[in-house]
Amino acid sequence: MAIAEDRRTVAGRLSVLQYFIALVFSILAVGFWVLQIAQHEKYAELAENNNQRTLALRAPRGVLFDRNGTVLVENRHSYSISIVREQTTDLDRTIRLLASVLGFEERSVREIVERHRREPTYRPIVIIQDASLQQVAAVTARRLELPDVLIEPIPTRQYPDTMAAHLFGYVGEVNDSQIAGGDNLKSGDIVGQSGVEKIYNTLLMGEDGAKIVVVNSVGREIRTLEEDPPTEGKRLQLTLDFDVQKAIEDAFDSIGFNGAAVVLDPQNGDVLGFTSRPAYDPNAFAAGIDRVKWASLMEDEDRPLNDRAIQGRYSPGSTFKMAVALAALEEGIITPDFRVSCPGHANFYGRDFKCWKKGGHGSIDLRHAIEQSCDVYFYTVANMVGVDKINKWAAALGLGVMSGIDLPNEVQGLVPSTEWKREKMHEKWYAGETISVGIGQGQVSVTPVSMAVYAATLANGGTRLTPHLLKAVDDGTGWKPVPPPPPQAQSNIDPEKMQAIRDGLWMVVNQAGTGHNALLKGPDGKPIHDVSGKTGTAQVISNQGKAAAGNTTKDLRDNGWFVFFAPRDKPEIAGVVFLEHGVHGSNAALVAHHILDTFFAKKDGRPLPPKPELKPNLVP
Amino acid sequence: MFERRLYYHIDWALLLAMLALCGLGVAMIYSTTADPTRGVSRLHITQMYAIVLGLIAMVVTLSFDYRTFTDKSHLIYIGLLALLVYVMFFGAVQMGARRWIALGGFNLQPSEFAKIGVALVLAKYFGENRGTPAWGDLAIGGVLTLVPLALIAKEPDLGTAVTLLPVFAGVAFLAGMRMRVLGLLCLCLLLAAPVAWKFGLKDYQRSRISTFLDPSQDAKGAGYQQIQARITVGSGGLTGKGFRHGTQGQLRFLPVAHNDFIFSVLAEEQGFAGVLVALGLYLFVILRALEAARLSKDRLGTYLVLGVLASFTFQVVYNITMSAGLAPVKGLTLPLMSYGGSSMIATLAGFGLILNVRMRRFTN
Repeated sequence: MAIAEDRRTVAGRLSVLQYFIALVFSILAVGFWVLQIAQHEKYAELAENNNQRTLALRAPRGVLFDRNGTVLVENRHSYSISIVREQTTDLDRTIRLLASVLGFEERSVREIVERHRREPTYRPIVIIQDASLQQVAAVTARRLELPDVLIEPIPTRQYPDTMAAHLFGYVGEVNDSQIAGGDNLKSGDIVGQSGVEKIYNTLLMGEDGAKIVVVNSVGREIRTLEEDPPTEGKRLQLTLDFDVQKAIEDAFDSIGFNGAAVVLDPQNGDVLGFTSRPAYDPNAFAAGIDRVKWASLMEDEDRPLNDRAIQGRYSPGSTFKMAVALAALEEGIITPDFRVSCPGHANFYGRDFKCWKKGGHGSIDLRHAIEQSCDVYFYTVANMVGVDKINKWAAALGLGVMSGIDLPNEVQGLVPSTEWKREKMHEKWYAGETISVGIGQGQVSVTPVSMAVYAATLANGGTRLTPHLLKAVDDGTGWKPVPPPPPQAQSNIDPEKMQAIRDGLWMVVNQAGTGHNALLKGPDGKPIHDVSGKTGTAQVISNQGKAAAGNTTKDLRDNGWFVFFAPRDKPEIAGVVFLEHGVHGSNAALVAHHILDTFFAKKDGRPLPPKPELKPNLVP
Repeated sequence: MFERRLYYHIDWALLLAMLALCGLGVAMIYSTTADPTRGVSRLHITQMYAIVLGLIAMVVTLSFDYRTFTDKSHLIYIGLLALLVYVMFFGAVQMGARRWIALGGFNLQPSEFAKIGVALVLAKYFGENRGTPAWGDLAIGGVLTLVPLALIAKEPDLGTAVTLLPVFAGVAFLAGMRMRVLGLLCLCLLLAAPVAWKFGLKDYQRSRISTFLDPSQDAKGAGYQQIQARITVGSGGLTGKGFRHGTQGQLRFLPVAHNDFIFSVLAEEQGFAGVLVALGLYLFVILRALEAARLSKDRLGTYLVLGVLASFTFQVVYNITMSAGLAPVKGLTLPLMSYGGSSMIATLAGFGLILNVRMRRFTN
């Protein structure tokens, strides 16, 4: 009986267990049904996000060529090192470790990460754009400890050191206001921030590609699912001539002054050469400039980031006299034979104005007044013409107006007028002020690029061309020439009157003038190519001011100008050299000589002149 | 010892279902570990050797009358305790735990065999006592269970240690333990839980449990495995991603996929359909084994079957729940499928005893 009951109990309890287990398994089956069937889509998506990554493939920017096909700016491969926070378990630790491996300050790495904090975590935060091979090796060696650190090869801009730095400009990560400005830019894009890189950014940028890869649990790429290769930016041919550009750079290196030079083709406005000194190395920006370098560039008193050629405004000095001459001739106020007697000074409106030559030039006509740069002659003529006519004709030649060059942030020069003075200063123009304007002093201020246009307009007889840099574009289907932009202005100038001015400019270089340094001589020692030009030596401070300043560390030496074109009658090259505190215009002519020598040697098929050793005259 | 007619009473259906599960396991191990890009992994081959060894062990436990084993159960029990003590001092250390005895290329894990030892000794103890067990019986049975449990927990291997509790609970339950006592035991466990939380658990164990309750609080740390387990299972869908095409297991988002999470891999690659097949096979094995308990000619046999079956069932249910991300992650393998030699051999040896009981139901 007891046994039977016992049996029943066992049998009963076994049945309980049976049902219990069947129940448990049913619950399990339901659980799996919920996960695998009911919520399948949600988890399938999560699994996909788990193992697929879309990586951006950066498009190389378009290569820049010179007018003869020489590569000016290209791309090289550099390695960027980034943190992908999605893979990070301890961001603090990663930052600490990475900073020590790279030899960075922890604080600076943290700042970079902080700046990109709000971006999606899968997007890499670039800590260093252009890592050295040692840094790449160091990070690779710690790869297991830094699974969230990504090393990527990226195309990086390669510039010819400081050559034409301001013209090429530089690239950098897009900033917020640029993203807001449209153009389909997104955070992390590298865009042109100045120069050609900026103005032709849309052409140069290309289209980034993408790659969908399968990654494993530690973020290592296993295989590629899909790849959309990047499209390289369009290749641009610039009007620049590498040899002319190099001649400019070499001459500036040799003469040792800061300044600017712009060289044009006076027939169509092609920019053949362009520099601003001091320059900076745009390669430093290409790979992400560090704060120290940036600060030193910003704080440098010589302001290397400032593009003097299009942003610097300076008194033109005697180089302005051709504008005064043209105004007087074209307004019918004088003829080229008009003579003025120069005793070395002259009185206007009760004030004595000095000629640079103490003894005076005696009786002198227009051609010789230009050749000798007689101040009294141009005081007199300016007084006769009046400031508004000078303003009008200076503008016709390109001064006091924008040149329209295809570079960002050009600054406008100033040639005063009565209207300008009334508007800006709310004052009447005094006739006495016109006298200084006659010799390019007073309120006249011009940019080097406008002076180059001025030289080109004098050279071609009155067409104010638009200086431009873009010659042709290749979008991968072959070069397509870009037509030069239309001229800014066309003046009907009597060729005979213009020829008188050009004669004077020829005499400046070839006869008794101050531009002798620019004279080109053939192998037989005879002058060739009829170089014409005009020097200008402009005070940066008045004589009284100089005396008042006394002993100062500031450079108060005069600025030197040389505007030129050649050959006189069928000009092929025109331009300007500006030397900041270059003491004399004739020193600028030394630089121009090397530029002209190189240009014509190349044209004539002679060997190019070697790097010059220029000896400027430093005696004031 | 082995009469020819006994051969006909072997439960071939049960054996077949078990072998099917072993085969599934080998296939999944192959799927997750054989990576052609890293050279051929031999884990699935090793597993097949383990199955063969296990079958040999099964033949051994099948060949002698189970009463021979229960008669010697005190010796087996003491021998196992000695092994566990040996492990404590001289065991091989892997992943921070001292669980193994190195036997030249093969690591023996005595804790896996402790389950059989405890099942044998409890079956013998309760089988000899007729009627409802008294308090004293329960206490002695409890001590017999707790001693090896404590030794294993100390290794530390809390997961395996806990599998001894169902052995005691199952046998005591069948032996007629009053429901009141059962309720009291449950109450004690509940009361002991906070104390164990505070003093008995290690930090990593605590974090596993707390992240189970809210996996997102530590999505990259301890909660990671749980979230990944759910993603793995859920993304499998109805028919799965296909053999060797699971992304979660193949790309190692799941840790030790061939071991603790082998069922997740099955769910991912074979889908809900594969899950139902595997669940069905396990359910069949368990119910069929319960049948053996019912058929047993004596209480000793019934208790023995249930002792062996209790830890097996507990482990199966817990592991499958965990592999769906529905239970805290513990180092508990899935018997018959997970990679691991000791577990395979111990499980098959244990089932040898179950087959033994059923086979000898007509003998005296």
